[in-house]
Amino acid sequence: MKPTGILFFPAFDWAISPTHPEREERLLYTRDQVFEEGIMDLPQIREYKPSIAGLKDIARVHFCVPDIESQITEAHLVAVGSALTIGDAVMQGEVKNGFAIIRPPGHHSMTVSHGNRGFCNINNEPIMIEYLRKKYGIKKVAIVDTDVHHGDGTQEIYYDDPDVLFISFHQDGRTLYPGSGFMDELGGPLAYGTTINVPLAPRTTDTGILYVLDNLVKPLLEEFKPDLVVNSAGQDNHYSDPLANMAFSAQGYARLNSKLAPDIAVLEGGYSVETALPYINMGIIMAMAGIDYSNLREPDYSPTRFRESSSNLEAIKKTVETQLAVFRRRGDTIAANRKKGGDFYKTHKHIFYDTEYIHEEQVVQLRLCPKCSGFRMINSSAQHPNGKFYRVFCISIPVNACEECQQQGRSYYKDMVNNGKFNFVYLQDRIKDEYKSMDMGTETERVL
Amino acid sequence: MLIGIDVGGTYTDGVLYEGSSIVSSVKRPTDETNLKNSLLQVLDELVGSGEKDKLKRVVLSTTLVTNLLATRRGERTALLLLPGHGLPQQVYATGPDTYFLKGGVDFRGRVIEPPDKNEIRDVLKEVESLGIKRVAVAAKFANRNNEHEKLIRKIIEEEYPDISVVISSEISCKLNFPRRAVTAYFTAMTLKEWNRFADDIEQALKERDVEAEIHILKADGGTIPLSVSRKKPYETVFSGPAASTMGAVALTRDNLNSVVLDIGGTTTDISLIIGGQPLYASRGAHIEGRYTHINALAVKSIPLGGDSIVWCEWYANGDSAIRVGPHRKGAAACFGGEQPTVTDVFNYNLDLKLGKPELSKAKLEELAQKVRLSTVDLCDNIVEMVIDHLADAVEDMFKEWENEPAYKVWEIIHGRKFRLDRLIGIGAAAEAIIPLVAKKMNVDHFIHKYSPVANALGACVVRPTLAVEVHVDTENNFFTVDPGGYRKSLGKTGNFQLSDAKELAQKYLKEIGQERGMGEYINEFQFYMEEQFNVIKGWHRAGKLFDIGVQVSPGFINEYRGVDA
Ligand SMILES: [Zn+2]
Ligand SMILES: [Zn+2]
Repeated sequence: MKPTGILFFPAFDWAISPTHPEREERLLYTRDQVFEEGIMDLPQIREYKPSIAGLKDIARVHFCVPDIESQITEAHLVAVGSALTIGDAVMQGEVKNGFAIIRPPGHHSMTVSHGNRGFCNINNEPIMIEYLRKKYGIKKVAIVDTDVHHGDGTQEIYYDDPDVLFISFHQDGRTLYPGSGFMDELGGPLAYGTTINVPLAPRTTDTGILYVLDNLVKPLLEEFKPDLVVNSAGQDNHYSDPLANMAFSAQGYARLNSKLAPDIAVLEGGYSVETALPYINMGIIMAMAGIDYSNLREPDYSPTRFRESSSNLEAIKKTVETQLAVFRRRGDTIAANRKKGGDFYKTHKHIFYDTEYIHEEQVVQLRLCPKCSGFRMINSSAQHPNGKFYRVFCISIPVNACEECQQQGRSYYKDMVNNGKFNFVYLQDRIKDEYKSMDMGTETERVL
Repeated sequence: MLIGIDVGGTYTDGVLYEGSSIVSSVKRPTDETNLKNSLLQVLDELVGSGEKDKLKRVVLSTTLVTNLLATRRGERTALLLLPGHGLPQQVYATGPDTYFLKGGVDFRGRVIEPPDKNEIRDVLKEVESLGIKRVAVAAKFANRNNEHEKLIRKIIEEEYPDISVVISSEISCKLNFPRRAVTAYFTAMTLKEWNRFADDIEQALKERDVEAEIHILKADGGTIPLSVSRKKPYETVFSGPAASTMGAVALTRDNLNSVVLDIGGTTTDISLIIGGQPLYASRGAHIEGRYTHINALAVKSIPLGGDSIVWCEWYANGDSAIRVGPHRKGAAACFGGEQPTVTDVFNYNLDLKLGKPELSKAKLEELAQKVRLSTVDLCDNIVEMVIDHLADAVEDMFKEWENEPAYKVWEIIHGRKFRLDRLIGIGAAAEAIIPLVAKKMNVDHFIHKYSPVANALGACVVRPTLAVEVHVDTENNFFTVDPGGYRKSLGKTGNFQLSDAKELAQKYLKEIGQERGMGEYINEFQFYMEEQFNVIKGWHRAGKLFDIGVQVSPGFINEYRGVDA
């Protein structure tokens, strides 16, 4: 039996600010617990060393404004690099599955990054997934986001990609940051049904969450048949988390992981650093490695402490039924959307960056291609905390774009460079694996 | 005048050092059934060659404890574990007499679950009824709070005075419960035998009127007084490879990056020297398939030595392949052995004139005919195989070091890159083999005329070592000290800073160093770990946590001035 790969990168020398929840000792007690247990010495575990990602890996997913260097620190490069290392270990068959216990987190970062949103600047899992898609030719990927917060960044990145199934369950957006992740957020017109949200009422317990897993997530995965399952493994559904209000336990997390059996899990949020994280991380490692976790629990845990209310369970059942139906008729819905015709599908967005009080305005255009799921263009503007105002134009050609979409995308880049209305014009060409950014002020182009 | 003796598996080596030269050196076969006699025989020869009353220090390196553990001849020992919640308890079972008890502590040293005295008494009754006289006790997070371990020890001392007990927190305060438990268990198992050996040695030296200090070489390449080793027999394991590595450092005395290859009869031991300092095993000594908390040099042992046989493996389809090792079947052919060995190959190929070279040639010709090669081609092939194997093992060794996990941004960004300057050859076969490996790897090599007794020289001239780790928790107002397992209140916590924590660690280093008779060497300390974390409650700082490590690292005593070439 192959071992489970663990990459533990607590970034003991990095914090957003000294008392911010995303600070040095977030994984200190996890370190204490995991090392004291001696689990890393077991033959079922293989520990990996963190590594450093390249700028190109980031450019494959993000348009960082004005450039990547100004949006990240070295810690981000190591967190991303670590996810790539675990991805490689799994894809090369060195391990049966892998868990990257890394920080800083990333799942609130969207395609365009003007700054830090919800403790995130760049998004670890999509960067890893695009890297693995490019390197190993994987097509279909499922991401299951089990963080208590809606994984709005990951959702946005894959909103128009029908080959990536994004499932997020989280505390209802009416009661928690980022205030999104409602049931009607189901993907763009040509990728309808491969974004599935399950908002849950505060105080939902193990019973409720595992019901979602058994009755929605598992069937979705069985029908979607992904080549790779990634768990965005936030740990803030825990009953002791200071930033949210759910009632999930370490046992619950371990059972969730056993049922889901992800190929790769990547840590996201979770801020109950003393009373939850050490036990949840142990639980996930044990579940992934196939080690019996029945002896694991938090010091203050009691199996009778939280009871799922029957009304909540009824509500969850209804949500599950609705979302399953939406997913199953996605083919028809997409066909109908295509028939409606039109050249581009246009949406206006306002995006708020809570950490840095940035307000971004976006106009997104998706090409309604008859042959593929189109390519995206984002016209984005925002004032940065340093007072500078940026107006940028971004073109993203996905891995599954058709010939026509590729050519159009590339020629729009030339047009927008000539247009002169923008500070920066970016082209993300995932087919050629080439990433261009044109600084109109200095008229210099950078190609990664 | 100084003496170093390394009782190895095959040979016992000894040197007598004075001024700046090795006055005499002795190499005798080891009698596995009587290590003490092997040791004393070499000691007598060395003492006889010098002036007895000028003898200042004798350092011994012995495989006694390693052998006891490997052959499971240690005393029957019960292991009482308090694993609390987490991994399945059975994962921690070690040996046939493992018992699990209630009682839990968390990473901040807070008691989660009290122990059950009735349960403890029931287990002790059973232990006694089995006639077991040794008990090791280990609790998860006893490194942060050892009150449960101490309670059990107290009950044993009061109610079973003829059972002796070792608690894990006094052995080590590093994180990793199973390693702590295993180390405590090995300690309890070997205490009696080791003390008997120590008694014998003291007695023998008294009979010989030798008044020199007696020290024991540890796995970390430093010494401790024989008297201190009586409580810590585990420190003496793997001292042989440590002796060789330190011997290589003693012979080179510079700051280069080297790999030491000690080519023995059946194995080659490989160790790393980085900037003149030997590298520690990041997971502690690995004994009988278990990791421990024993500080040891990182030594990789591969099954390839001078006596490894060279042979031909035949497949069902009639194909054949030439093999080297991993077995040994007696001596090399040139020394009367039945089968040709690596030594014979080099003897023939390089015309080394070892033993009876014609016997090497005869056996190799026999093999060459079987595989339808000329003897020259056969030997060239084998030499290349040996060289490749060693070169690969060296590369693996420093790749492993480069790929050690690290937990800080700074460590990852600045990376680790091992630039190999040189190979150092130790052991009798080194002279023939090492230059070729170095050539293949395109680096320098170093072989000294004293390479064959470098292990004894290493034992002879190394200084005492000591590492002290202090964990401070200002919110819960306590600190712990390793080794010893002290847990004390901090007194003032108001404005406790990193500098205070370092001072505390230094204070204990000096105290413990003094108890161990480290003398002036205690002043040559360095800090190797300085961690500090805030404890935030809400948005405010409720306290601080510090982990400080300070050590006197491996080095040489002041009397050592190198050896004349
Ligand atoms: Zn979260
Ligand atoms: Zn298209």
